[in-house]
Amino acid sequence: MADVECRTERRNRPGTKTIEYYRWPEEMFEEMDSTLAVQQYIQQLIRKDFTAIDEILKAPDSQDEGVWKYEHLRQFCMELNGIAVKLQNECHPESCTQMTATDQWIFLCAAHKTPKECPAIDYTRHTLDGAACLLNSNKYFPSRISIKESSVAKLGSVCRRVYRIFSHAYFHHRNLFDEFENETFLCRRFTEFVTKYNLMSKEILIVPIFEETETGNFIGHSAESEA
Amino acid sequence: MERSQWEVERAELQARIAFLQGERKGQENLKNDLVRRIKMLEYALKQERAKYHKLKYGTELQQGDVKPPIFEDGIGGEPVDGESIFITNSNVNWRQGRQLLRQYLQEIGYTDTIIDVRSNRVRSLLGLNPAGAAAEKEEQTGGGAINGGASNSGVSGSSGSSAGTGSSPGDPSGNSKRLSETQGRRAPAKKVPPASLAEAMIMDTEAAVMANFDFLAQEGVGVEVDDEDDMSDEMEDNTDDDADDTANASNAATSKRNKMKTKEYGDPYSFFDSSSSTSPSATADSGFSGGNSGGVPRRPVVPAPVTGPTPVGIGVGDDEGVDGHLGLGELAQLTVNNEAEVSYDISVNKESFRKTWNAKYTLRSHFDGVRALAFHPVEPVLVTASEDCTLKLWNLQKTIPAKKSASLDVEPVYTFRGHTGPVLCLAMSSTGEQCFSGGLDGSLQCWNIPGSNIDPYDSYDPSVLSNSLLGHTDAVWGLSLHSQKLHLLSSSADGSVRLWNPQSKSPLLSVFTSESDGIPTSVDFVRDDPNRMVTSYNSAACILFDLETGQPVTRLDTDKGVEDSVFGRQINRVISHPTLPLTITAHEDRHIRFYDNNTGKLAHAMVAHLDAVTCLAVDPNGLYLLSGSHDCSIRLWNLENKTCVQEITSHRKKFDESIFDVAFHPSKPFIASAGADALAKVFV
Repeated sequence: MADVECRTERRNRPGTKTIEYYRWPEEMFEEMDSTLAVQQYIQQLIRKDFTAIDEILKAPDSQDEGVWKYEHLRQFCMELNGIAVKLQNECHPESCTQMTATDQWIFLCAAHKTPKECPAIDYTRHTLDGAACLLNSNKYFPSRISIKESSVAKLGSVCRRVYRIFSHAYFHHRNLFDEFENETFLCRRFTEFVTKYNLMSKEILIVPIFEETETGNFIGHSAESEA
Repeated sequence: MERSQWEVERAELQARIAFLQGERKGQENLKNDLVRRIKMLEYALKQERAKYHKLKYGTELQQGDVKPPIFEDGIGGEPVDGESIFITNSNVNWRQGRQLLRQYLQEIGYTDTIIDVRSNRVRSLLGLNPAGAAAEKEEQTGGGAINGGASNSGVSGSSGSSAGTGSSPGDPSGNSKRLSETQGRRAPAKKVPPASLAEAMIMDTEAAVMANFDFLAQEGVGVEVDDEDDMSDEMEDNTDDDADDTANASNAATSKRNKMKTKEYGDPYSFFDSSSSTSPSATADSGFSGGNSGGVPRRPVVPAPVTGPTPVGIGVGDDEGVDGHLGLGELAQLTVNNEAEVSYDISVNKESFRKTWNAKYTLRSHFDGVRALAFHPVEPVLVTASEDCTLKLWNLQKTIPAKKSASLDVEPVYTFRGHTGPVLCLAMSSTGEQCFSGGLDGSLQCWNIPGSNIDPYDSYDPSVLSNSLLGHTDAVWGLSLHSQKLHLLSSSADGSVRLWNPQSKSPLLSVFTSESDGIPTSVDFVRDDPNRMVTSYNSAACILFDLETGQPVTRLDTDKGVEDSVFGRQINRVISHPTLPLTITAHEDRHIRFYDNNTGKLAHAMVAHLDAVTCLAVDPNGLYLLSGSHDCSIRLWNLENKTCVQEITSHRKKFDESIFDVAFHPSKPFIASAGADALAKVFV
């Protein structure tokens, strides 16, 4: 056990303070020998700088693309929990009776046997729960090291559904959305991600996230709310 | 030099062979005699039964009774050629075995002292000192951990009995008596046609010999040379036995040597069982197939030894006693031992007499490490808390039918959303209606658990999140709930331990701090004294507080045991024994330590894992301890004698973390583990 002495153990031991959590020396991707290396690597990049989207989305050389996309989508669904928690306090079934973004579409909740017009908050929860089940399904994703092509194809529909959570929040709970986006850059990262890997078509990416950033007044928008 | 030693050894062996062969002859005669008697008894019994049946129902008893005479005929004729096939075959095996053994012995080198030990051993094995031999042997082979240790109790018990009843060591009268008795009690069992019987015997013998050598090879990577030699001794003796038994078609399970042999095989109980339950002519066969470790282990149906003393009862009931017994020697070697070997041993052992814990349910749905889990007090339901900021409710009765997999997948029935950061700890109320979770963001949430039959895609019910307990200013790492009064203890990285009454309007009851001891890592109520709690610190301190006065009562003597090692001094988890004044701590330095609450003294310490021990759980009766570690395994310990009963590799690593929590179901036979690989597993 001589090697123990000379290397840092990357652990969040009980008693670790919030600011120390996951604060350990970075590990090179090549040195990660765990089966969860891709997740470790992505999380490490996000923790380092969540605004460095290109860096985060840049797969290491020789990384299997299916796994890379899969692990990113897992991370998105996980972080979307944050927006769901916020929505729980603000998005009530009485006010948001349907899952909508712009007035163009009403989204039906695919979590049910026959797609249903769930209130927005239920749509959000059900979609995230459904995504958790699908992405953890032993049938479609039995391994996190290699993923069948047919399963990779399923990622697109998950992306489309979870994107609606962003769009609903943007168009109906703008304050909340901005607050969350400033903390995480999640919608930006997600938009980049689906564009880069062609998981969604441009037309349905309705949150004007990059236009806002370019004009530099994205943060200032918070006062407007409720589009 | 080696050569000459080898020569000496060879001569010794040859002498032994001659001796053993003589011995065998004697045994053979004895066996024949006994078998004859048994047959007579059995026949008489059957006659009696038939008579009784006839008297009672007025008809002939059909199934079994017509056959016995035929059977007896068969025994006169068929075995003859069965036997001859046997002898040749077994001789080949025997020689091969010898050769292997010699090579092996040559390799490891032989010293005179060992030869002495060895010949003593052989002598004792031959029955010159039966009871002692058995005991000694068990001790030296690590409680026979390698071969279904369970058996040992039965075996040693019965050999003890034979020594007790028959004063001359060669006379197995105690056993024969027992055998015939058990026989008498049993209905005529399945009968194997003699032809296939012989074939089966040959196959089995081969397998048996192979099994012996497999075992030998495996032991070769063991720990001490001494041990190895002992093993090989027994091996050698067994090879002889094999030859013996195979050459002897009518060999019954009566001889002591047979029993010795069973020890070497995986599943001696079934050996004994089958031999005593089948009719005598089938004994040889079934004896072999049963004794063969490759066979499917049967549950011991053997009646308790008639005269034998209870084997090593440790007060936990027979099974447990046996359990502990077998692990006896293992403890010391635990960290040295080859991992695979340990688990192999245990699985073999456990299968034969007690249920082994097997992974049955895999709980997949979290996106990141599962930090904590808690069972419902009654239902097969549990809650998991994860670094993905959610908690999930699982109903083990709602599984997804899985293809070609022994373990079932479960989908969660509810997802608790409320934390904005990783959830680190969890506690379930004794009613199963509420649970509490602490998060990295310092929040402490109270949840009303929805019914376990809820539709996972039901509409959102905000009342599930009942309230938040505000006070901690840093990550909450430990929670403990009092079983009677609904009081909650929480430990946080802000340095404080807080006592709450979650129902009350002003829930915070008191705050405990001990700045000089660092940050509390874990907290638990002292179960046998409701007015106390125990807290562990990252400085390795561990203190019992009085809940009313808020003052430290006892400082556990942790400083002595925990040295400044490279592994750190941290205590990762502290739990209180449910019934005894005993505190158990899990340490970063791979130890589990036990402290007496009254004196604060160290009661026991053991290196329990290959890496930091992260979590502990005691079963509701206080008999077993479950521990989890970043070495990816969970281990089950018998608390009576602190031996490892089972080891299961359960989770994969993420960074340098693997297992975060383990739990016993309070009322059902479930155990569970939660891991950094985002999975939780339930074992039955």
